[in-house]
Amino acid sequence: MENFSRRNFLKSTAASVAISSMIGCEQKKTAEPLKQAAGGSSDQLGLEWDKAVCRFCGTGCGVLVGRKDSKIVATKGDPDCYSNKGLNCIKGYFLSKILYGEDRLTKPLIRKNGKLEEATWEEALDLIASKYVEILKNDGSNAVAMFGSGQWTIFEGYAATKFMRSLGFVSKDGVGSNNIEPNARMCMASAVAAFMRTFQSDEPMGSYEDIEHADTFVLWGANMAEMHPVLFSRIVDTKIKDKIHVKLVDLGTQFTRTSEEADLYLQFKPQTDLAIANYFANYIVQNNLYDKDFIETNTVFKRGQTNIGYGLKDGGADIPKDAEAMFPMTFDEYKAFVSTYTLEYVSELSGVPKEKLEEAARLIADPKRKVVSFWTMGFNQHTRGTWVNQLVYNIHLLTGKISKPGNGPFSLTGQPSACGTAREVGTFSHRLPADMVVANEEHRKKTAEIWKIPVEKINPKPGLHTVEMFRAIDNGKIKLLWVQVTNPFQSMPNLNRYRKAAQEKDVFIVVSDVYPTRSTEVADVVLPSAMWTEKEGAYGNAERRTQHWNKIVEPPGEAKTEIWQMFEVAKRMKLDDGKTLADLIYNYNPETYYKEIWEEYRSFSLGIGKDLAPYDVLKEKHGVVWPYVHKTKEINTKVDFTEVWENVENPEGKKGDDFISVKWRYNAKYDPYAAKFLKDHPEHKGEIAFYKAKGNDYKAVVLAVPYEAAAEEPNNEFPFWLCTGRVLEHWHTGTMTMRVPELRRAVPRAVVNLNPEDAKTLGIKGGDLVKISSKRGSVVFPADVNGRSIPAKGSVFIPFFDETRMVNEITIDAYCPISKEPDYKKCAVKIEKV
Amino acid sequence: MERRDFLKKGLATGLVTCTSSFSLFALLGQDNKTYFRPPGALPENEFLSACIRCAKCVQACPYDTLKLGSVTDGKNAGTPFINFREKPCYLCEDLPCVKVCPTDALDIKSLVNIDLVHIGTAVITDREACLSLNGIRCEICYRVCPMIDRAITLEKHEQEITQKHTVFEPVIHKDYCTGCGICENACPLDESAITVLPSQRGDKAKHYQYLREQVKHKKGHKK
Repeated sequence: MENFSRRNFLKSTAASVAISSMIGCEQKKTAEPLKQAAGGSSDQLGLEWDKAVCRFCGTGCGVLVGRKDSKIVATKGDPDCYSNKGLNCIKGYFLSKILYGEDRLTKPLIRKNGKLEEATWEEALDLIASKYVEILKNDGSNAVAMFGSGQWTIFEGYAATKFMRSLGFVSKDGVGSNNIEPNARMCMASAVAAFMRTFQSDEPMGSYEDIEHADTFVLWGANMAEMHPVLFSRIVDTKIKDKIHVKLVDLGTQFTRTSEEADLYLQFKPQTDLAIANYFANYIVQNNLYDKDFIETNTVFKRGQTNIGYGLKDGGADIPKDAEAMFPMTFDEYKAFVSTYTLEYVSELSGVPKEKLEEAARLIADPKRKVVSFWTMGFNQHTRGTWVNQLVYNIHLLTGKISKPGNGPFSLTGQPSACGTAREVGTFSHRLPADMVVANEEHRKKTAEIWKIPVEKINPKPGLHTVEMFRAIDNGKIKLLWVQVTNPFQSMPNLNRYRKAAQEKDVFIVVSDVYPTRSTEVADVVLPSAMWTEKEGAYGNAERRTQHWNKIVEPPGEAKTEIWQMFEVAKRMKLDDGKTLADLIYNYNPETYYKEIWEEYRSFSLGIGKDLAPYDVLKEKHGVVWPYVHKTKEINTKVDFTEVWENVENPEGKKGDDFISVKWRYNAKYDPYAAKFLKDHPEHKGEIAFYKAKGNDYKAVVLAVPYEAAAEEPNNEFPFWLCTGRVLEHWHTGTMTMRVPELRRAVPRAVVNLNPEDAKTLGIKGGDLVKISSKRGSVVFPADVNGRSIPAKGSVFIPFFDETRMVNEITIDAYCPISKEPDYKKCAVKIEKV
Repeated sequence: MERRDFLKKGLATGLVTCTSSFSLFALLGQDNKTYFRPPGALPENEFLSACIRCAKCVQACPYDTLKLGSVTDGKNAGTPFINFREKPCYLCEDLPCVKVCPTDALDIKSLVNIDLVHIGTAVITDREACLSLNGIRCEICYRVCPMIDRAITLEKHEQEITQKHTVFEPVIHKDYCTGCGICENACPLDESAITVLPSQRGDKAKHYQYLREQVKHKKGHKK
């Protein structure tokens, strides 16, 4: 900074003045100096900088946060974060403003005589605790539920799962409640189910660095140009570097900003992605382009149960008991199975021209090409979401294009800690930390041991997954719901049913949030919460990178962290022996509880290939990828890697380090676990080992499953497909981005995107108000035919960020019978000009 | 029209309007402000004489985009104009403002298609401030453009510092730009980095044809 010129000085002063005047109503609090993490520093303008991570999507862009006095007045991209190297998108650019919307919640609210009125924390916490005790004593632990999110920090998610699963100390049935879900169920549960069924270990094997090594990108149902803007700009750069050779293939149901950049765009009819993926597998097999040695050593072939239902009936009554079953089959049987997915049949079914299908297949199968597949909600929010995820693994497994730099299937996430909190902590109704499940006795034992509670207290029966949880409110079975860091009363599919239930049924709803939302609107108690850098936290992004930040500013007014809220409720839950629930589960030192929670949670991950970095390392580094493996046993408790250590590369460190951050899992060149496995299993050929897939003899599953129709398809009365999603400028239900004036001005409302031909036929012009109706309701949107997104003929697209026009009032609550993830991408609607 | 000419003409007009009751304001109003007119407006001088200040177009605008010049606007008092930053033109296909014009100051005959309107032309006027050019994935002007991929396209360059990312540069194509100002309105900066300027600005000389005009070149949808 020696060259800090007058000009720069003037410019930056102007910028910070502008930002701080925007913030207004300055709280005069004396700021304490930041506890300086690595990178924490103060500059000439008196701004103190510390590291953090962006609050929005799952890319996990590192940011540096500038504090002046008691406010965050600036942010900048963190050049030392591997995930983004210092860049941000427009949402990240406005990150500092999300804290300072005018209507931050600053006092607890309690509903009295139908109205939310200000209350003290004592009143609110006493009321919540007494409701818990009353309901747990009368109705048992299945009558309470918690709904959190992939925006929970890892600490919060861990405290929440521990809280719910330990309620057996209070409830009449003596076992805890597994009715805990993250909104990630609506987001990437299908990816989780498919990773577990295929590799017996969740999360991608690769790294964002795959983008620089690959030459062929295959995007399925993912508008990365808008939803993962910084990552997409990396893909485009790889294309710029080799314009002729590098290819981007976009498969989707509407022409998006991603399609515009693609070399090959395959527009398919909704749901036929199942058939297209099988056609690609067929092409690979028929043309002998599969990797014989690889599939011999590393795969096992199975067929899945078929006709598995759609979860349209309460309790999943239309889903066969063995929907998740997979049965062994031979390679020849598999070959015969995929042979029915011929070019002609799939072209006819999907509407994709034959030459385009063939061109895509040729690129994917070419042994000389390095292929990365990316996907998001188009695959995950799908009534056959688990299947379609697995069908893409099939392609990578058949060709052996997996776990190598530039080769791999890569499921992207939409939330900052979908991976870190929802998946790794295991805040799903059936999961425990580190890929464990409640139904497994060994897993319960390990959990009980770490939590120091009797194993009998952990409920072996999985709780209600998201859709059934909200149905259970409507059916009067759930009497208490605590919502944290999410907005289900805008984001649930078939929303009218669940909003009505919340308002009319005998259910006590607590919502912890930072702004008034469509969920606080139906709450009985609203708890004002601290957000982002108003509390210490850590998120885990899509490339398995855990990123920690310090508390940088105080939350406004009386707002408190969710962890504090859970601690306080647990303190108020008295047990028979005079102790409280908090004494048993939250017995941490008030000064050091973040570190204690982290180290306790971390112990789940060690020695099993899920190893997380120690607290002090996370605090120092600008993001650490797991497995973060230590060379010797002392630290990881089980495995000694000394004999293979020298052969393993350490791309984010140096040779000779005692720790290696594994960039490509299952690959012996980069992953000490794989190297060790190969050393111990000399009969295993090659350098890839799916060492977590113990149940399948360390082989990944290639799954034969067919095309099956969507839960609801267009018909005479409702002749159009409806697809929902996001736009670049806004995030999720818009509670944060709609409070940034600049983003709100750019995209002030949700519109319905129509195909220009359909618009013409229906006599609809841009800006006309249009009523979109399904069996479940009607919503009015202004029409847009300008072409930012061009849905296929016969379909419409509507984003869900707008709280004044909620598209989920018409979406369907059908879900994948395996992952239980709802399908927000397909239902039947009609369109009328208002 | 050169600035010098403009001033001269302005002065002349000012002298003429001196006879009217708000002559003083008329003189004060002769600054460099450009008045962007509704779709189909005749060339400015003709427009000013054809417009009878009836405000029917302003009443007809469903978006309240059209504003009416006040007494301080001198000879433009009572004439319709657009302030893009406040509200842009949403290019109504049925041309409500044009249809109600009693004098053809807004000339319906010149408007075969609303997409062919030229209210002005958008220009990136502050490259230093433009977020997209600074490597932020913004490009809001591009995505809100009603003529996306025609009036504004994205040119891709490697981000020099990381050498792993792309700078998406919004580039405006005058042939397609309607000057609706939706981009100027949406720019998230305090002062918009993209601004609508009078269409004649930057008109290319007629004595030379560029290579790209000799080869058939049209960037359009790949669909």
